[in-house]
Amino acid sequence: MTSLPLEGLRIVDISNVFSLPYAAGLLADLGAEVIKIEGPGRLDVSRHGAFSGVYPDNEVGEDPWNRTSTYNLLNRGKKSVVLDLSRPEGRAVLKDLIAVSDVLAENFTPRVMRGWELDYPHAAKLNPNLLMISCSGFGREGPYAQYPAQATTQEATHGLTDATGYRGDIPSKAGQSFVDFLATWALSMGTLLGLRYRRRFGKGLWVDVGMYQLGCFMVSERILDWEANRHRDERIGNRHRQFAPQGCYRCAGEDAWCAISVRDDAEWAALCGVIGRPELAADPRYATVEGRRAHHDALDTLIGAWTATLGKMEAMERAQAAGVPAGAVFNARDMHLDPHLRARGFLEMLEFPPERGIGRRPVIGRPWKLDRTRIAVRGPAPTLGQHNRDILCGLLGYDEARFAELEQAGITATKPTKVRPPLRLSMEDRLRQGRLAEWDRDYKTRLGIAD
Amino acid sequence: MMTMPAALDDLRVLDLSQGIAGPLSARLLGDFGADVVKIEPPDGDCARRLGPFAGGESHPEKSLPFLLTNMNKRGITLALDRPEGAALLRRLAADADVIVESFPPGYLAARGLDHATLARDNPALVMTSITPFGQTGPYRHFTGDEIVAYATGGVMAISGTTDREPLKHGGMPGQYETGMNGMLATMVALLVRDMTGIGEHVDVSAQEVLASTLVINQPMYSWFGGVQGRRRPDGGAFGQIMPCKDGYFVSQEGASATWDDIADFFGRPEMKEPRFADHAQRGANGPALDALVLEATRDRTMAEMFRTASEQYRMLLGIVQTPEDLAHCPQLEARNFYQEVEHPVIGRIRVPFRLWNMTAGPASYRRTAPLLGQHNAEIYDARLGLDAAALRRHGTI
Repeated sequence: MTSLPLEGLRIVDISNVFSLPYAAGLLADLGAEVIKIEGPGRLDVSRHGAFSGVYPDNEVGEDPWNRTSTYNLLNRGKKSVVLDLSRPEGRAVLKDLIAVSDVLAENFTPRVMRGWELDYPHAAKLNPNLLMISCSGFGREGPYAQYPAQATTQEATHGLTDATGYRGDIPSKAGQSFVDFLATWALSMGTLLGLRYRRRFGKGLWVDVGMYQLGCFMVSERILDWEANRHRDERIGNRHRQFAPQGCYRCAGEDAWCAISVRDDAEWAALCGVIGRPELAADPRYATVEGRRAHHDALDTLIGAWTATLGKMEAMERAQAAGVPAGAVFNARDMHLDPHLRARGFLEMLEFPPERGIGRRPVIGRPWKLDRTRIAVRGPAPTLGQHNRDILCGLLGYDEARFAELEQAGITATKPTKVRPPLRLSMEDRLRQGRLAEWDRDYKTRLGIAD
Repeated sequence: MMTMPAALDDLRVLDLSQGIAGPLSARLLGDFGADVVKIEPPDGDCARRLGPFAGGESHPEKSLPFLLTNMNKRGITLALDRPEGAALLRRLAADADVIVESFPPGYLAARGLDHATLARDNPALVMTSITPFGQTGPYRHFTGDEIVAYATGGVMAISGTTDREPLKHGGMPGQYETGMNGMLATMVALLVRDMTGIGEHVDVSAQEVLASTLVINQPMYSWFGGVQGRRRPDGGAFGQIMPCKDGYFVSQEGASATWDDIADFFGRPEMKEPRFADHAQRGANGPALDALVLEATRDRTMAEMFRTASEQYRMLLGIVQTPEDLAHCPQLEARNFYQEVEHPVIGRIRVPFRLWNMTAGPASYRRTAPLLGQHNAEIYDARLGLDAAALRRHGTI
């Protein structure tokens, strides 16, 4: 039995929303003890509000804040402690925790931690070996450091939106909170680098991630094109700036699509065979990539005529069998039921205790595996304040009187003092409003999680 | 020269990968101190043929994506398809800590260069394989690229609008994200190895990297059977791209701004009426709200709106910055994002470099991307005691 790489490591996680909570969840998968801190009046946004995700079977329940999908995915395997950090008594407990932990993870706007005297120079005084991981919209210095930021507005500012859009059309919003996940990967990398540095050189350090510059890195080749050539590519939708043809083609079935990409002449010849038009491979108009780019619209029509006769999976498989890059457009259902992702165990099962009324639910694991060390989600996300006593009395050694005092003063709690009202919408309303494209009533049977 | 200690400065990395994702993983290891040797086939990494190119014309030493993803490496050539080439790789692998590779699954095994074989001589060797669909499962032999990862990773299904086809993000962010995950997964394997002495085979799937970003979308299905689609094409100035005087912007509720603050920022008191202010009613009044916002921003510039919204109203507002804007961005300057590089063919150029800051062991720049085979003599002659010129004559390198 191999042990997990972060066993014995303690992380105090005072972060909120997606980026850093997700990174800390991944670190919990790796064996770290992650203590998630929330305020009684300041729950993690993923427990309620616009980003809450949804409730099991659309039932809000008695404790909706413990039941949302996204919260439970991101915070798997953590412990939960409620502390009111807006009050000095709450911060005193946090300081005690920092003193006995390895990592402090936070994503407050930069002025907050400074105001609390918990920025890195201060936090390091509490624990000289501390690894502190910070995430903010723009990083801790510079003219935009105090600007508010969230993914949708950042993806515009960091340059992805200018590159994204239908050909010849206005810029388009990217998908879901794109930049948050760049931060998730960067924060995870920074933590692991910091831990290795600390192990080798015996010193803690501070990792300061600004989401904006990560987003800017995602358009690096466009920035370099400007730096070198003073040139800016137009928006080209699903086409490729160099290879042709490339596009997303309609297949038989409801909202069914397959992306196809041809990177060289050999793949073009192969595709001609696949679509039943082998003679096109010899057509001089399409023989070179320049020719194919010039006749891209015509090629789209030819390819689309072929895909329209096939299901998206069949189109993908036939093109791939001939060595042509092709991918069916997977929706959330496909992500759960596709045989490839199932064979790889990409989604992992969270098993909730019966009293939580959530049952078993598959969630995203992580996009990589090691061949010997089995890394997996280690359990569900905790209920709010589930580990108050374990941590304050068990770990920090507070006596019952002190614990009761903190509870009485509302510094710690197991119920929120403030919750946004949960969104109550029937499944039919969700479909009507376009929040959902489809709804599978029998999803539990399909997933094998029916009671 | 004094060098600062760095987290990975005790490691030797061989980068056999091509394209964008694998090479970026190896570059990131190099940025944090690892000694990275890039091993290219004699005709070069396919990324050398990928634009944009400095000067605009295709040239193997002028690919800008190649420059970006291969800084902090030395470069040699080696023909792995020839038995002598494979034998040389085995020698290099004997004292390597990490190999990064992106061949189709089975390619290295067919040449006796897979992890299981190389680990017999070097049990501490970590090998990170970065492929479109991973090393296992029915699609492992499928080929892929950016759009295939975006399609099968589930992101395209919810990008774009309901009246049109799913839409890929522009450029190649999926490749960069996969590269970040390759580095991350390698770090995990290194921490395991530090503990156990055993190097593992790491399997990174580009499809799963994209899918891992769908933390709202995925559990909607497992929590209640919901399948999310794309946005409707109109209605809802909030969270959608809107034009202004000199470009585009997007605004959103949140941060510390109230709806009244937002109405004040736009200078449109009508926005405070319940049909817009109330969430439940706003959806149905989307087009009317769009029209109000459009009129309010027709004569305002991106820069002014960004500054005013962020500084005076503490409101979420983004502007659609172009590469030119990013090249002149004072925030990126303050964060030391760019690295000025002197490249023997491209010349002097600023390259996006620093992904985040660290108070100790930060990313450090040591060398520009290698020319094809630039370090053959340094590695083959000086390190292995071979004759690079003879190897070249025999077609081994």
